[in-house]
Amino acid sequence: MKKTSHSLITIVAIFAAAALMPFVLRQYHLNMLTEIIIFALYAVSYNLLLGYAGLLSFGHASFFGLAAFATAVAITHIPGLSIWSAILISMAVTTLAGFVLGGLLLRHKGAYFALLTLAFNSILYAIATKWHSVTGGDDGLSIARPDLTLGFTTISIAGLTNFYYLTLIVLGAAIIFCWYFTKTSMGQTVLLMRENEERMKFLGYNTNISRLILFVFAGAVAGLAGIFYTFHFQFVSISAISIDMTTTVLLIAFVGGTKKFWGPILGAFVYIILQNFLSDITDRWPLLMGLIFVLMVLFVPGGLSDVISNLRQKIFGRKNNKNGKLTTAEELKS
Amino acid sequence: MNEFLVFFLHGLAYAGLLFLVSAGLTLVFGMMNVLNFAHAAMYMLGAYFSYTIVMQMTGQFWMALMICPVILFVIGALVEKFLLRRVHRYGHVQELLLTFGLAYIITELVKWYWGNYPLAINVSGFLNGTVSIFGLIYPIYRIFIFICAVLVGAVMSLIIYKTRLGIILRAAVNDSEMANTLGTNVPLVFMGVFAFGAALSGFAGVIAGPLLSTFPGMAQEILLDAFVVIVVGGFGSLGGAILASLIIGELQSFGVLLFPKLSMALVYLLMAAVLIIKPSGLFGEES
Repeated sequence: MKKTSHSLITIVAIFAAAALMPFVLRQYHLNMLTEIIIFALYAVSYNLLLGYAGLLSFGHASFFGLAAFATAVAITHIPGLSIWSAILISMAVTTLAGFVLGGLLLRHKGAYFALLTLAFNSILYAIATKWHSVTGGDDGLSIARPDLTLGFTTISIAGLTNFYYLTLIVLGAAIIFCWYFTKTSMGQTVLLMRENEERMKFLGYNTNISRLILFVFAGAVAGLAGIFYTFHFQFVSISAISIDMTTTVLLIAFVGGTKKFWGPILGAFVYIILQNFLSDITDRWPLLMGLIFVLMVLFVPGGLSDVISNLRQKIFGRKNNKNGKLTTAEELKS
Repeated sequence: MNEFLVFFLHGLAYAGLLFLVSAGLTLVFGMMNVLNFAHAAMYMLGAYFSYTIVMQMTGQFWMALMICPVILFVIGALVEKFLLRRVHRYGHVQELLLTFGLAYIITELVKWYWGNYPLAINVSGFLNGTVSIFGLIYPIYRIFIFICAVLVGAVMSLIIYKTRLGIILRAAVNDSEMANTLGTNVPLVFMGVFAFGAALSGFAGVIAGPLLSTFPGMAQEILLDAFVVIVVGGFGSLGGAILASLIIGELQSFGVLLFPKLSMALVYLLMAAVLIIKPSGLFGEES
C-alpha cells in the first residue's frame, strides 16, 4: 500500500515539474523535451514486448511508421479532419496491423520471431518507398497540425508550448496506462508466461491469446507515439518506418535498461540529449551511438536503470528485485 | 523463347548469389543457433575490400576472390572469440543485439571510409567475355556466379555429411557438452564455423560486386532476400537454402518480366504463404 502512494507522489511530482518546463526552458530545449516524451512512449511500448514478454522484435518501427503515415495521409486527403478523428483512424490502422502481423508471426519464437519482424518491417518500408502517390516516397509528406477541438472550445496547437502540453498530457497518460497495464492480471500473466510458459498452459491460460493481445497493445501504443511524431515534426518521411527507427527504439530501451519500467524513459532522455550533443560535434554520431550500444551489450547488459538501482541498493541497502528481471515480487513467489 | 532463356539465366545467376549469402547465414544459425544480423554487413565488407583490391591496388579480380574471404575469416574469428563468446552466457537476445549493433557499426564505418555513394567494380579478361548458349550471347560472369554457388554448395554438403570434420561439427551441435567431454574442442569448432560463415559472406560480397553496385545500402538489400530464402527453405537447412534460392532467384527474375510493378511483392507473398501453410519452411524441422 505504501509503495503505491510512493509511486503516486513520484508521478504527480514529475508531471508538475514537466508542466513548469515551458516557463523554464528555451524553445530549442522545449522542442527536445517534446521529442523525448514521444520517444519515451515509443520505447515504453517496445519494452512491453522485450522486457515483459521477452519477445525481441526487430520490427517495432512498423507500427510507429504506419501510424505516422496514416496520420499524415488522413490529414492530407480528408479536409477538415479533426485531430481526434485523425488519431482514431491511425490507431485503428495500427491495431489492425497488429492483429495481422501478430497472427502471422507470433507462432515463432526467439530468433525466428526477430527475423520475421525485421522482414515485415522491411516490406512495409519498401511499400512506403515505392508507393509514391500516397506516401510521397523519398520526399515525404508535410502537414499542418489541426486545431485541438474540445467540444466547448478550440485551441490552436500550432505553437510549440500548446503542443507540448498536449503531448505531455496525452502521452504522459498513455505511459501511465502502460504502467497500469503491467500491474493488471493481464500484464502479470504475460510476465509469468515469460518465466514458465508450460506451467501457465497447465494452469489453463491461453498463452497465445495473451501474447497476441500484448503484441497488439504494444503496437497500438507505438502507433500513438508515431502519430505525435508526425504532429511534432509536421512532416513524415520514409525514415519513420525504416529499420533505423527500430534501431533507435532498441538503443533507447537498451541504454535505459529493459528490466525496469522506467528504464526506457530514462533511455529516451539519455538518447535524445546524447544524439543532439554528439551531432553538434561530429557528423559521425551514428557510429558513436553504435559503439555505445555494442559496449553496453558487452559490459552493461542491464542498462543504466540497472546500474542506478544497483547503486541505490548499495547505498541505501534497500532490497532489490532478486534476479534483476522485471517482476513484482509477491506474484512470483506465490 | 530467347527472352525466356535470358530471364531464366538471370534468375540462375541471382539464385547463385542468394545461395552464397544465405548458405553462411543458415550454416551459422543451424550450427550455433545464432542469427547473425552482421552477416550481410560482412558481405558488404567483402565487396568493398574487393573494390580496394581490384580498382585501387592490383586490378586483378582473382586476387580479391582469394584475399577477401581470408580477411573476413579473420574478422569472423575475432568477432566470435572476443565479442560473441562474451555475451553467449547472457542468452540469445544479447547475441542478436550484438550482431545487430555490429552490423550498424560496420555500415557506418563503410560510409565513412568509402563514402556514401555507389562504386563500380569491373572484371577484366576471361570473365568479362561472353559465351553463346543456344545461339544466345550471354555474359560469362553470370554463369560463373552460378558455377561458384554449385561448387560451394557441393563442397559444403560433402564436408558436413561425408567427412570426419562434418561428424565433429554435427556432434558439437547435437550435444556440445558431450562432445566437449569426449575431447572435441567445442569452442574452437564454433569459432571455426562462425569464421567460415564470415568468409563465405566475404566471398559472396566479392562475387556480388561486379553484378550489383557496391553501396552502403547493399547489405540491407540482400539481407532481406537472404532472410526470405531462409524462411522459405527452413531455418538452418542447407538443402532448403538451395531450393529456396532457386525459387526466389527465378521468381525475382520472371517477376520483372511478367509483372514489372509487383516483382518485389511476389517474393513476399511467397514468404507469407509459406508462413501460413508450413511455418517451419519447406525443409525445416518443427521448432
